[in-house]
Amino acid sequence: MADLLQVRDLTTHFFTRDGEVGAVDGVSYSVAAGETIALVGESGCGKTVSALSIVRLIPEPPGRILSGKVLFDGADLLQLPADEMRLVRGGKIAMIFQEPMTSLNPVLTVGRQITEALELHQHMNRQDAFRETVRLLKLVGIPNADQRARSYPHHLSGGMRQRVMIAMAISCKPKLIIADEPTTALDVTIQAQLLELMRSIARDLGTATILITHNLGVVARYARRVYVMYAGKIVEHGPALAVYHDPRHPYTVGLLASVPRLDEPRKTRLAPIEGQPPDLVSLPRGCAFQARCSFYSGGCEGQALDLLEVSPGHYSVCWQGRKGREEWAKT
Amino acid sequence: MGEDVVVRVAGLAMHFPITSGLFLQRKIGLVKAVDGVSFAVRKGETLGLVGESGCGKTTVGKCVLQLYRPTSGSVFFEGQDLCRMSEGQLRQVRPRMQLIFQDPGESLDPRFTAADIVGEPMWIQGKAQGPAYRERIAELLSIVGLAPYMADRYPHEFSGGQRQRLGVARALALEPTFIVCDEPVSALDVSIQAQIINLLDDLQQKYGIAYLFIAHDLSVVRHLSDRVAVMYLGKIAEIAGRDALYQEPLHPYTQALLSAVPIPDPAVEAKRVPIILKGEVPSPINPPSGCVFHPRCPKAFGPCPTVVPVLADVSQDHQVSCLLYPPSWPPSAPP
Repeated sequence: MADLLQVRDLTTHFFTRDGEVGAVDGVSYSVAAGETIALVGESGCGKTVSALSIVRLIPEPPGRILSGKVLFDGADLLQLPADEMRLVRGGKIAMIFQEPMTSLNPVLTVGRQITEALELHQHMNRQDAFRETVRLLKLVGIPNADQRARSYPHHLSGGMRQRVMIAMAISCKPKLIIADEPTTALDVTIQAQLLELMRSIARDLGTATILITHNLGVVARYARRVYVMYAGKIVEHGPALAVYHDPRHPYTVGLLASVPRLDEPRKTRLAPIEGQPPDLVSLPRGCAFQARCSFYSGGCEGQALDLLEVSPGHYSVCWQGRKGREEWAKT
Repeated sequence: MGEDVVVRVAGLAMHFPITSGLFLQRKIGLVKAVDGVSFAVRKGETLGLVGESGCGKTTVGKCVLQLYRPTSGSVFFEGQDLCRMSEGQLRQVRPRMQLIFQDPGESLDPRFTAADIVGEPMWIQGKAQGPAYRERIAELLSIVGLAPYMADRYPHEFSGGQRQRLGVARALALEPTFIVCDEPVSALDVSIQAQIINLLDDLQQKYGIAYLFIAHDLSVVRHLSDRVAVMYLGKIAEIAGRDALYQEPLHPYTQALLSAVPIPDPAVEAKRVPIILKGEVPSPINPPSGCVFHPRCPKAFGPCPTVVPVLADVSQDHQVSCLLYPPSWPPSAPP
């Protein structure tokens, strides 16, 4: 499959009073047309910054994309002039954010916010754009779409607002949707509705999706390939099945062990990852996870952090990653 | 109900008036946030309270602690009805019942040091005197896994997980027998969540504290609770022992909730077909007639829109409020 998007060695730093924060540090990933991948990690690991860098929405200053390439549809997005970039944003690449209340404009009706995109990107006139908006709102399961298009965001519930965001995202038939924690603020039954909706829409329109989340369950339900991020770097990636069943980075092992699972007998104790994520201003030499790692050995400081292939298509930066869980357990 | 019950709630209701007008605050409606809730928490056990946002679970927690004075019903704590006590009498009881909040960033005063935060309950109760006070703070900090030298730091100098540890230390300061934990881990990252869950678990083992654990994450609730109550629109839909509820959920809402939780395993997820509920939670201002769940219920049938089910024993220690089960039929309308 040809890759729709290739991110290569992307490095985005923030220059703050406390020092230079390496929010994203040499991250590479790819998405094929129509494919769903997930970026997983905890707060501050750089998953959102890496996605915002793709569409160049990093506030500058304090942030700056220092190096890397974002190849999308044959062009490097980082080199595009600003006016061409505007056509990509919302047109070819759409975004869905976590909090629909803060990403929708409170003083415009929800319909107007969708027609705006249609007029700008699809060159529709107002009437056509409004008709198309009502169709989209129906498609994402909003009852009384005709009236709802005239409502303001605060009239709608959280789930409905997120449906509006999805309608807006698919309005211009993008090739790629970046969904940043799309269901985190919602209840489980609404989350299940929306994930199902996003999956069927992506399938019908052939849209590729980058799903950014910290919820390992949502990833398992939704994504075919997974990238695990820690302290600004991708520490492991591969097919979802391989990463979940045979994790080769101690951080992934720890993450999977720390969540209670409904389908397994109840454990008497959870196995948390001890300690705190590192300060991105002053990272240790070598592996950033070493201080919390239960498989730490003397060699971890000096190791280069390159992704090693541990099984076909499955990569880990842990230099001990080839060994796998069984052998780790012995040491 | 035996001797070992710490908290017993009977027929608890909390209705908030909706008012209109600037001066003449006319009452134009009622939000029935909690409407007839009964349950008991036994000594040293955890009752999990789950439900979606707006179902009234936080209001139940606040009513139990009398932070809201309930509209009707009673809350028995160690045998005394808190709803019939004056504020002065409540003050005598309050040390033994405490609260842990959701967002440790917002629930800690940024101008207080860690020692002030943990020691404030002792000040209020007049127990903060002499060198014993500093010693007690150092002891509390080490119980929750913080170092005593951190006592003079301010909240912003702690990470999210550490702040929640401070919240726990504050709740422990007066040696409570009962703590309401309101979403104590939902603002934390998964790896940190597990640390706090283990801490709460250890404290219960060590001090025999009973918890009312309010959360929306069903897997976390299963991990910590002995018994679980599921709330929907101000009412309890189902209440049972943990294993019974998770292995044999009876209420269609409980079944849908459990199937909606994604399991972190792609192989398992590929085989599961979640029950997707239609629509959203209705407004508690104007709740549906009959069973409040019927407009979304995949198993709704004839009488559901008209007959109000009652919470009744379907089997040993397993109560459900659903007309699919004959015990839930109200006496006036036999099945």
